Amino acid sequence: MIYLDNGATSFHKPAAVKKAVMDAMDRCANPGRGGYAAAMEAARQVYRCRELAGELFDCRPEQVVLTSNCTHGLNIGIRTLVRPGSKVVISGFEHNAVTRPLHAMNANITVAGRRLFDPEDTLVAFEKALRGGADAAVFTHVSNVFGYILPVREISRLCRRYGVPFIIDAAQSAGSQSVKLDDLGADFIAMPGHKGLLGPQGTGLLLCGRGIEPLLYGGTGNQSIFQQMPEDLPERGEAGTMNVPGIAGLSAGVRYLLESGVETIGRKESEQAKRCAKGLEKLGFQVFSGRNQGGTVSFVPKVDCESAAEFLAKMGIAVRAGLHCAPLAHESAGTLETGTVRVSFGYDAACWQTDKFLAAAGKLQNKTEKNKISYCYPRGNPL
Amino acid sequence: MKTYFVTFRSVTFAQRGESVLKKSGVNCVLQRTPRWMEAQGCGYCLRLSVKDAVQAVNVLRQKQVPMRKIYLQAEDGDIQEVQL
Repeated sequence: MIYLDNGATSFHKPAAVKKAVMDAMDRCANPGRGGYAAAMEAARQVYRCRELAGELFDCRPEQVVLTSNCTHGLNIGIRTLVRPGSKVVISGFEHNAVTRPLHAMNANITVAGRRLFDPEDTLVAFEKALRGGADAAVFTHVSNVFGYILPVREISRLCRRYGVPFIIDAAQSAGSQSVKLDDLGADFIAMPGHKGLLGPQGTGLLLCGRGIEPLLYGGTGNQSIFQQMPEDLPERGEAGTMNVPGIAGLSAGVRYLLESGVETIGRKESEQAKRCAKGLEKLGFQVFSGRNQGGTVSFVPKVDCESAAEFLAKMGIAVRAGLHCAPLAHESAGTLETGTVRVSFGYDAACWQTDKFLAAAGKLQNKTEKNKISYCYPRGNPL
Repeated sequence: MKTYFVTFRSVTFAQRGESVLKKSGVNCVLQRTPRWMEAQGCGYCLRLSVKDAVQAVNVLRQKQVPMRKIYLQAEDGDIQEVQL
């Protein structure tokens, strides 16, 4: 299989990740719950993950809250910053992991910047929205649908200038773009452990530039006498038993990134995405590509996108079709009705993958020229 | 043998304390906080020898690892909170 669905999860993980998971299952009990060797080893594994994450993302170990995925971290951040009626600025490329919690909080949402691959437009729109007064901002670093790399440093600067606390969704950038908590000055940066960080599913990180409101309440392994959650990070955000085997695997993934270099991986992914976009354009697909693009490309086939992805799957190519849990991004790009087929490269991105994918896409194009079927998505307005 | 204990508000602070001390070449042992030492329940502390204690506390302060309390356990088992 040619795996090009790294936007959903990285699939062929480094061998060290699998070994770390298995070792932890053999050697680790519950961290922070005992003083015997297996409990202490579990605590060491957890702390090691915080240290490695701190090294990669430029923060202290206690600023790293271990979550079960990126959505979990985003929910903690949103719960901390947003109240019913809060005015929240978001980009036009947000995932449901951002928009659904905001809707659930009855936030007053302003969408800023809907033009793809146009960082100037994004900045102008954010400045206008922030200048008008906002209680919080939440924005993605890289669009999960189109690979558009938003100008997060500049947006962060604007947020700081206008005194607006902000959350960065690094779901698609952690592991392939530079993400530094200290430098960005973010209140929160949320990310999954199982995508670019190469860890197992069920892991994630929330980098905290400030204290949090807990999402879950329960045992933390410290200050047990009190009925309130501890005030200190990271325990305030980590009620209940942790996913230690997953966390050990995540540490191995982060270690791999520290050794390989995030910029090197990001460059490889971006190069293949460009190559892929060019090839798709030559084949006559409608392709979304431009400057400031990471390792993800979306295109609209001549048949409905799910049928196209099914055809590619039969050819041994794994891609994702549909709305990618990001109807707002599709609305911004004008693909809400059609959806797209998304090709997303990972740390192992290579020319041979792109070539095999393009060969299959060429067959798809030939086969479907005379066989159009109707688009599968109803018209709708998610926001 | 006299022994010092440094307690922390969380296991993560205790672990960061252990990490910075080891990187500074100071010996310490991370362990559960004895129940009779602090009643908050389920804490971790660092055990230090007399010869390492002052240096250890200085390193912890310098690296801004928040400490809760410092205890000295005498040879006869008596324990008292101390300032270093």
